[in-house]
Amino acid sequence: MGTPCHFALFELKPSFRVDLDQLATRYRELARGVHPDRFADASEREQRLALEHSASLNDAYQTLKNAPKRARYLLAMGGNEVALEVTVHDPEFLLQQMQWREELEDLQDEADLAGVEVFKRRLKVAQEELNESFAACWDDAAQREQAERLMRRMQFLDKLSYEVRQLEERLDD
Amino acid sequence: MALLQIAEPGQSPQPHQRRLAVGIDLGTTNSLVAALRSGLSEPLADAAGHVILPSAVRYHADRIEVGQSAKAAAASDPFNTVLSVKRLMGRGLSDVKQLGEQLPYRFVGGESHMPFIDTVQGPKSPVEVSADILKVLRQRAEEALGGELVGAVITVPAYFDDAQRQATKDAARLAGLNVLRLLNEPTAAAVAYGLDQNAEGVVAIYDLGGGTFDISILRLTGGVFEVLATGGDTALGGDDFDHAIASWIVSEAGLSADLDPSVQRSLLQVACAAKEALTDAESVEVAYGDWRATLTRQAFDAQIESMLARSLKACRRAVRDAGIELEEVEAVVMVGGSTRVPRVRDAVGELFGRTPLTEIDPDQVVAIGAAIQADTLAGNKRDGEELLLLDVIPLSLGLETMGGLMEKVIPRNTTIPVARAQDFTTYKDGQSAMMIHVLQGERELISDCRSLARFELRGIPAMVAGAAKIRVTFQVDADGLLSVAARELASGIESSIQVKPSYGLTDGEIARMLKDSFQYASDDKVARVLREQQVDAERLLEAVQGALEADGERLLDADERMVIDLQMQELRELMKGTDGPAIEQQTKRLSQVTDAFAARRLDSTVKAALAGRNLNEIDE
Repeated sequence: MGTPCHFALFELKPSFRVDLDQLATRYRELARGVHPDRFADASEREQRLALEHSASLNDAYQTLKNAPKRARYLLAMGGNEVALEVTVHDPEFLLQQMQWREELEDLQDEADLAGVEVFKRRLKVAQEELNESFAACWDDAAQREQAERLMRRMQFLDKLSYEVRQLEERLDD
Repeated sequence: MALLQIAEPGQSPQPHQRRLAVGIDLGTTNSLVAALRSGLSEPLADAAGHVILPSAVRYHADRIEVGQSAKAAAASDPFNTVLSVKRLMGRGLSDVKQLGEQLPYRFVGGESHMPFIDTVQGPKSPVEVSADILKVLRQRAEEALGGELVGAVITVPAYFDDAQRQATKDAARLAGLNVLRLLNEPTAAAVAYGLDQNAEGVVAIYDLGGGTFDISILRLTGGVFEVLATGGDTALGGDDFDHAIASWIVSEAGLSADLDPSVQRSLLQVACAAKEALTDAESVEVAYGDWRATLTRQAFDAQIESMLARSLKACRRAVRDAGIELEEVEAVVMVGGSTRVPRVRDAVGELFGRTPLTEIDPDQVVAIGAAIQADTLAGNKRDGEELLLLDVIPLSLGLETMGGLMEKVIPRNTTIPVARAQDFTTYKDGQSAMMIHVLQGERELISDCRSLARFELRGIPAMVAGAAKIRVTFQVDADGLLSVAARELASGIESSIQVKPSYGLTDGEIARMLKDSFQYASDDKVARVLREQQVDAERLLEAVQGALEADGERLLDADERMVIDLQMQELRELMKGTDGPAIEQQTKRLSQVTDAFAARRLDSTVKAALAGRNLNEIDE
């Protein structure tokens, strides 16, 4: 569809550090202009265009709002598509992944709700640290490999926090 | 905010310009229609002054009875009287059997998998029964407002899946209503409350109706209603409370569990009356035949405790999905007649740590909100201050992959409209076709998800396994309805469908029903078709005229403008006559010549939104 750059759509300079409140405000302004509700009495063609514009605006917003998605998008912007599934050589992190997962399994076995809370807080701190590291190196070509590694770590933690939510749901009976 | 309009009640300040649109709450037990009158959204009453129309339809050999009198006949004529039809919408025969044996109807199979109810007027699908309710509301609205409706916003439970939404839209179509939007019930309630109180911040809408339960978490910011998460249960409601009391009577009175339909119906009536009495009284005398006993509120609370717990669990999940903490919820709104049960109010209040809001009648609030949105969608507000509702899909959408697993393409609580693509490949050498199986649900196994549709992409050129690249695109529109397209990227072979749910009506069935309804209506079919063509033409002319006035100067050069003016002139000429096909043809032509203009206008709205922001930034 030849979509314009997500950052340009929100008139932002490509950067990992994004003011989320500001992003949300701009999203609402733009959504006001293109949402299909504005075209409920317009021609079919206009309705279809509004649908397409709104869908791509929503997609852009979701991408920029979520840290790992934003990171992946930034890395891909230079034309270097980052493969979705690759065998990652990151032994240090691999070890940590296994530790996180084991802990999560223990929490499930013991149905330890207080433990889940502590786990969530630690996870959040780890995510913030990763974000900081990524922000410091993503636009340095010399550190490209490191940036990709950090982005994959972010993705893993994102998935892990989803699993924590699922665990909370299972424990909530 | 809109300026206060000074006019006598029932007297519109601009009688020729206001476009009549209504909000309809098509509920499990009760239905309502509301409209904006003199700037105020209010439910419309029937000739006897009743606002609520019980969702009950009784079929006689020669006529159809809808509402209170039909409901009253439920016990005496159980096979021809349909209650709570909403529970059957978008469901298959096997789902219906799971709803329990309480349903007294005689079901027959149709061309589709939909359960048809056998009545004296022949088999009736849930869609037709719903359409019969909608027709009554439409007529009521046209009489009260004094004119033909431009369209209606119909509300649906937020947790309705694609099949249930499609069924609702089909019912409206059958009732001759132009659906401006399917709107989620909790979102509609939020509109009614948000406008009333000029609220900002995070609110939770707890909506327990007759047969469905919804919880939505919204963020309200300057007229934008953003749904953060939604959840619920489409088979949980006040009807279940009645059933609980009825089973209590059955066991206490020592009745046989195998009851005939009319006994079932009268037991439920007794149960419902007891439930309602317990809203104010601490205990109530229950009698059935010679048997009598006392039901205390405490005992009733215990009977409904597990259902209530289910709803609270859904609330906690929605809060987690919204990515917030319970404490961040600043207001809780109660919607639906079942929230009158004191235990429900207390339990919800305890969970959120604040007293729930009940100022607007919980039976009317959804229709009131829907009417406000209908008025906006009909184009009666063009002051840049319109509300904006950003809703989400309630359940994940995905595809069947190898091993009977569901692969999610769009996760639940994604803001709509949304379009997402996923690439797949062939797994056999020379594979020439691929089955696309569309699913909705949260579970991993496809057998635990709802099957929405299956279709086949054929004509894939012969390639080795894994070489073909098949892109499947999901698109969900603002009504929450899905369409799916599949394309092989190398060859460009394409196949797409508007998802017709497995439990929806077939096109043949819809055609038959439309034909039947034309025959029932006394007006001439040809005249009706012509009227529809005229309405379409009028709508387009108005839309183009409005667009030209707003942006014609700016976005069109003289030649382009002339072409559009000529085609409009031509259509206006044809409108004076009665040549339907010619009007239709010319409407299409006008639509074509305004295509490019439409695209330019949309692009310029985006630019305008950006420009507006720049100004603000300079001010800072």
